[in-house]
Amino acid sequence: MAKEKGSTAVVEESLWIKIQDNLPAIVVIAITIFIAIAIGVWGGWPQLLNSILTGGMWALLSVGLALVFGVMNIPHFAHGESFMVGAYVAYFVFTPLNNYLQQNPSRFLAAVAPLIAILAAGLAGLILGVILERALFYPLRLRSKPGEWVMNAFLLTVGISFVLINTVKLTPFLGNDFYGLGGGYWKVETLNVYPKAEAEDALEGLDQETYQPVLEYLTTQEGSITLGQVQDKFGVSRADLEKLAERRIIGFGNDDPLKRWLGIQGLTTERAASFLISILCIVALWFFLRRTRTGRAIRAVSQDEVGAKMMGINLNFIFPLTFGLATAMASIAGGSLLFMFQAHPNVGLTPLYTAWFVVMMAGLGNVIGAVVGGFIVSILQTATQQFTYGALINVIPTIIMIIVLLVVPSGIFGSEVKGIQE
Amino acid sequence: MLELKKIDAGYGFLQVLWEVSLKVEEGEFVALVGPNGAGKSTTLRTVAGLIKPKAGEVIFDGDVINDLPAHIISRGGISYVSEDLNLFRDMSVRENLILGAYAVPDKETQLEILEFIFSLFPRLEQRQNQLAGTMSGGERKMCAIARGMMSNPKLMLVDEPSLGLQPSLVNDVFSALLRLRDQGVTILLVEQNVNATLEFTDRAYILEQGRIVMEGPSKEVKQDKHVQNAYLGI
Repeated sequence: MAKEKGSTAVVEESLWIKIQDNLPAIVVIAITIFIAIAIGVWGGWPQLLNSILTGGMWALLSVGLALVFGVMNIPHFAHGESFMVGAYVAYFVFTPLNNYLQQNPSRFLAAVAPLIAILAAGLAGLILGVILERALFYPLRLRSKPGEWVMNAFLLTVGISFVLINTVKLTPFLGNDFYGLGGGYWKVETLNVYPKAEAEDALEGLDQETYQPVLEYLTTQEGSITLGQVQDKFGVSRADLEKLAERRIIGFGNDDPLKRWLGIQGLTTERAASFLISILCIVALWFFLRRTRTGRAIRAVSQDEVGAKMMGINLNFIFPLTFGLATAMASIAGGSLLFMFQAHPNVGLTPLYTAWFVVMMAGLGNVIGAVVGGFIVSILQTATQQFTYGALINVIPTIIMIIVLLVVPSGIFGSEVKGIQE
Repeated sequence: MLELKKIDAGYGFLQVLWEVSLKVEEGEFVALVGPNGAGKSTTLRTVAGLIKPKAGEVIFDGDVINDLPAHIISRGGISYVSEDLNLFRDMSVRENLILGAYAVPDKETQLEILEFIFSLFPRLEQRQNQLAGTMSGGERKMCAIARGMMSNPKLMLVDEPSLGLQPSLVNDVFSALLRLRDQGVTILLVEQNVNATLEFTDRAYILEQGRIVMEGPSKEVKQDKHVQNAYLGI
């Protein structure tokens, strides 16, 4: 009897201690959930949904930052440029594919092309990251005295940022222009019916047999109809329908497939896809870090570099890999958010600030914290937009971050950096 | 198996080791003892490749290794258990041990070695899911030594394992090392606890102010007047 009582007390005590240890995290998460519900109730659930989708992106961006800081002790201020590179690569991979699709429509390719573009962005990021690490950070590491590394690395990233941004600005065909998606990654062509369709002489000069049923169908439909629907139903080609467009009977338009299907305001295919991609990347990274030999090695390096060397881990393999992965994730974010952030030289600044925001609040170097933090910050930003003036979107979250850091200097979820004194 | 030939080594402008020469033959349990600050840890770090000597050679199994990077030396069969232990404190005991076998190519062999290590260190098996940073001092030392064994090393360099431990635990540590020696591992042990060390080892070197001042079978060294005076309080 006494033994049983004792063991229960031990269990209760450790739970209480667990709560105490993680109090900041629990409090913040609880408050965030409360705010999220508030957003849903007062702003509508689509608003909340959007906030969560954006949060996924911030999470993906911040994870890379946390990883680089935790494993390599680099305060990375060129992370936004990784985002920028991803945006540009995705644009220049997608646009030719898109142009090809105009001439040779293919449902499969239309669905897959954006993914190819985003994947290309990720690959570009990986290569860029490895090159930057080997060419710049490796020599710097050899030259830096132990106490100087953090500052040196930080300054190096600032320089990288400066060089990358201005290289793009000075490139003749890129310059300072904005490269956006126009219609979005995924779209369906729709047909809008104009009043002229009702006119008596609408089909004058055209083959009645072909066009009459189409016209009847079009005029009896509510809202816009997709090109595909009409083509499937009546076997007419786009060229045939263009003849109708010439006479201003119909007009071509674009709509988002997911929005048509589900009808939720703001839930477009791009948003859903970017969220799924970021979740996929984060889960993949989690598996990689937790379950694979190399991932374990990366975690070891982030905890004790000397210990890792003693285990036979080659730092000259781990460092470029980590930096490459982080850059790749930022580039994937940049590519998949092209609908939201058009590609231009300074596009990386907002993502950079947001990612640092998340990492500082969640705890430097804390990878899981960065993921949760991404969502928290997104919800804070949305709440600020909704309940206060939109212009304060960065002000209030910053104030909150200052308060959080005053109370919990190591961040909500705790820092995981080695040599933080340096 | 291991030979240091006239090693000069140090940190930046501070030279710590002056023409240090020593040998460890296969299967031996050799001690390197001396006062605080003599350069014992520096010697081990030089062998492990964490420090590059300014002069002299480190020869292991016939190969000159002093210009090789630390992780290559580790994979070459030398395990270094440092004074700071360098455990991965936010990982479990089990994960630490698995990382010890990082260089072992296939997972099955890793698990075999792990089982064997657990049989040598049953207390570690009990606590295998505990975070390494939350264990007591003695348990952490055991974990570090066990982790060092996971790579099936030919030579183990152990740095002051008994430091800060209560006497009963010191006994445990030394018995663990002897068990390893029985498995055929060659050990170079650095210690301040001269008494116990000379008891358990085959041969000993005395390092004072960065120089080897004496060497010989441990029993003889123990009888030496200077050693008794300076280190054994006799």
